[in-house]
Amino acid sequence: MSFRTHRPGPTLSVVRNAHDAAQADHAPETSETRPDGTLDWSILMAHAQAGDRDAYRRLLEAITPYLRALAARQIGNRSDVEDTVQDILLTLHTVRQTYDPALPFGPWLITIANRRIVDRLRRQGRLGAHEAQFDPEHETFQAAEANLQEEAADAGTLRDAVERLPAGQRDAIRMLKLEEMSLKEAAAASGMSVAALKVATHRALTNLRRLIEKRGGRS
Amino acid sequence: MTSTSDLIDSLVADAKPVRRLRPPVTRALCWLLFAALMLTLVALVHGVRPDLMLKLRQPTFVVGVAAALITAALASTASFIASVPGRSRRWLWLPAPAVVVWISTIGYGCLTNWVSIGPDGMSPGETARCFATLAITGIPLSLVMLIMLRYVARLAPTPVVMTGSLAVAATTAAALSLFHPLDATVMILMWNFGVATLLLALSGLYGRRLFGWVAPQG
Repeated sequence: MSFRTHRPGPTLSVVRNAHDAAQADHAPETSETRPDGTLDWSILMAHAQAGDRDAYRRLLEAITPYLRALAARQIGNRSDVEDTVQDILLTLHTVRQTYDPALPFGPWLITIANRRIVDRLRRQGRLGAHEAQFDPEHETFQAAEANLQEEAADAGTLRDAVERLPAGQRDAIRMLKLEEMSLKEAAAASGMSVAALKVATHRALTNLRRLIEKRGGRS
Repeated sequence: MTSTSDLIDSLVADAKPVRRLRPPVTRALCWLLFAALMLTLVALVHGVRPDLMLKLRQPTFVVGVAAALITAALASTASFIASVPGRSRRWLWLPAPAVVVWISTIGYGCLTNWVSIGPDGMSPGETARCFATLAITGIPLSLVMLIMLRYVARLAPTPVVMTGSLAVAATTAAALSLFHPLDATVMILMWNFGVATLLLALSGLYGRRLFGWVAPQG
């Protein structure tokens, strides 16, 4: 293989001698970085193929965040993203002999990564077809406080009905039933007699029943 | 579940030197050499069909066999190239023109020989020998192809293996045409699908086991 014009020459010479370099002594640090200072993954992979563990570790650690971002773009679940990244790394490890340093590293990595991402999405699809997400609704459904929505609606209806009572009856209901005062307390608070309160309460309940039934029948 | 950094540790610890794959075209040539060897062996053991010289003067026959052999060459090259991650999948279309020619000669044979093939157009003895040839050429070629392509099991086995099995089927069809006096078109067609399904099933089962053996899950 000769130098190629579209890539810097010095790195390619290292590719060609990757095996010798790893055997004899470590390749100079500068050869594993690009002119802009970032790691050259292609060179690292070539060294890893020759058995250079240090280069391999640096490569894996460098590509992991990239793979994580790649996976996170398509997979929502965070732990699934991490699983996918590990799947990709495992696959990369088993097929690392298929990388040809004469070709760019990116497409090679992305092909493998996309494979595992698609696998994961398929599995998510399969599971999703058979499993329902556990929503908060499911959790509260059995509890005693379930159907709070309906209770709120009922309370609203009652409150409206109470508002439409005559003033005396409304005060009696509010004090005796809603605020749970005793007859004596209510009498002291309102200045009405106990008997008048009783009558007012009785009439109020009758009226309320009539109001609510009318409303229920209407809806 | 191990964390990703633990996984990297174990992968690094397992990073033995690996031998790079040879260029895909070289590997395809190796496979084709093996195929040629198999065909020569079968020819030596079985002998060519008695009317081969006569048939070689028929343009349809010659075109059909040549197209099958070219299909085999192109399909094996395509599957070796496309099996490398990062290479374009469009390579898999490489054998398409040869396949069209090959299939159309089969179709032509079907049309012209439909009556003579018929329900009892084949003798059982010849059919059995045909199947022997099918097995003798097809199985070793499939196995070698499968072993050479084992790394693709975890990548994208189906299209690559389909193309690989096309190469095997084309080689086998060429062998059948050269060695057997019947144009077992229906059998060739069946064999094509048979090889494809067989290889797909094998790659589904064997590929995963091989992977588990090559890379024990951490």
